Amino acid sequence: MNERLKALYKSEILTRSQNPAHFGEMPEATHVLEAYNPMCGDQFKLFIQLEEKNIKSASFTGYGCAISKASTEVLTERLVGKNLMEVKQEVALFLRLISSDTVEEPDQMTTDETLLAFSGTRQHPEREQCASLSWSELAKFLAEEEGM
Amino acid sequence: MLDTQSIKAQFPVFNGKTPQGQDLIYLDNAATTQKPQQVIDAISGYYGGYASNVGRGTYWPATKATSNFKQAREKVRQFINAASEKEVIFTSGTTDAINKIAAKWLSPGLSEGDVVVTSEMEHHGNFVPWQQACREKGATLSVIPINDHGDLDLEAYKALLNNKVKLVAITAISNALGTRNNLELIIAEAHAVGARVLIDAAQMVTHERIDVQDLDCDFLVFSGHKLFGPTGIGVLYGKEALLDAIPPLAYGGGMVKNVTVEQTSFAELPAKHEGGTSHIAGVIGLGAAIDFVSEIGLENIKAHTGDLTKYALEAMQGIEGLTIIGMPDERASVISLVVGQVHPHDVASFLAEKGIAIRAGHHCTHPLMQRLGLTGTCRVSFGIYNTKDEVDQLVATLIEVRDFFA
Repeated sequence: MNERLKALYKSEILTRSQNPAHFGEMPEATHVLEAYNPMCGDQFKLFIQLEEKNIKSASFTGYGCAISKASTEVLTERLVGKNLMEVKQEVALFLRLISSDTVEEPDQMTTDETLLAFSGTRQHPEREQCASLSWSELAKFLAEEEGM
Repeated sequence: MLDTQSIKAQFPVFNGKTPQGQDLIYLDNAATTQKPQQVIDAISGYYGGYASNVGRGTYWPATKATSNFKQAREKVRQFINAASEKEVIFTSGTTDAINKIAAKWLSPGLSEGDVVVTSEMEHHGNFVPWQQACREKGATLSVIPINDHGDLDLEAYKALLNNKVKLVAITAISNALGTRNNLELIIAEAHAVGARVLIDAAQMVTHERIDVQDLDCDFLVFSGHKLFGPTGIGVLYGKEALLDAIPPLAYGGGMVKNVTVEQTSFAELPAKHEGGTSHIAGVIGLGAAIDFVSEIGLENIKAHTGDLTKYALEAMQGIEGLTIIGMPDERASVISLVVGQVHPHDVASFLAEKGIAIRAGHHCTHPLMQRLGLTGTCRVSFGIYNTKDEVDQLVATLIEVRDFFA
């Protein structure tokens, strides 16, 4: 087991992908987003219950690799109880955190250990799209909401 | 077994190391093959030594380029045992050749009620062009199902055949499962109802000797890059009478007899179908690749990769939690597998860290994955440079993967 693999598959990522706490459909969802990567077939449905500008609850269903599933789990966890502006900031931070194009060191960007767990994708740019799949879909949704 | 050490020495990629400092274990030969020095030399030899356009040049180096270009076509002809060089058309690859046949041969004569038969195991390249042609013309696309072993259901195939079938388009070897189809039977049955047959030989070309006259297929297509040749070059074989009857596959320079303001008369085969400047370096590189393969011998290649496949299957079948996808009656050197509940991309990333290159995903076979109820598999495909020691490393790492994600 080498260091690069350990960096990619942090134990938090493995645990969250194996036992996601927010897995399941949500009948009371006001919005259902579909995140799909045609290159690999990974596919998630994100269920969001939005009241005014606040997210009351969130969950997901679908199929993907350990990275994409764990990142979707963290996303749904982080959405709950936040308003759209707060979510937008966190999504932007996460997407910059995992990108190999970002110059700033991950631990200078946040002290949030859960988000930092995904920054291992910087050494595996081919896996960045796994970590970003659901977050990018949510970013599109937020941009649309803002435009309304 | 082949002398892999001396074979590997001919492939520059194996002289280097991966970014992590390991030897490359390349097990993705169904996607593309590595390139031996003599192919690289043939390509750079053209660009560096005698670059010029082929055809009408009366000067050196055009004379040399033209001569080598023609020789390469003759090498392809011999390689597939076509009756004439007129039956060998260069394309940019398998997909390009299929698209051209769909657009220029099938589509113009296709009408409502006509049928095109293909199969559940096809690569998208031998599926989508036919599906779209049928949709445009109101024709029916009939799909031969596979059984649970990953073999075509040949009884179902026979039941699909009738005098409305214009074309049977079938792969020789499944790129995802490794199934070697019974082409002889498929072709004979199709011809019995008056249908034409196109063989997708993309995977077949490194697996066994192709004899288009013996097979009696109407069209056969393959790419150079899966045969140790360059990317961007492929071959469309067609029976002369068929190719002669098809309007030019591409209009342009080099494919005409005479042009006036009012009309154009077209050149003879094969030039008729090769408008524009060809991928000359690609053609010459493909010729060198055929020389390379011929020197080793396709029979020896088949025996070597066959041994490795058998060896790998035996080792893999003993591993708990590892499932081989498809156990066809006759298999080429391709194995699809899944490791427990581990996503194929996680398996591939893990292997990549050890310098082991495999492919993970749907392998451009969505209909097959839907049939199997999978979103993807891990695919291992062997080539002439692979060894049993590499198989051992693969198998040991698959066990590590299983335990790591357990």
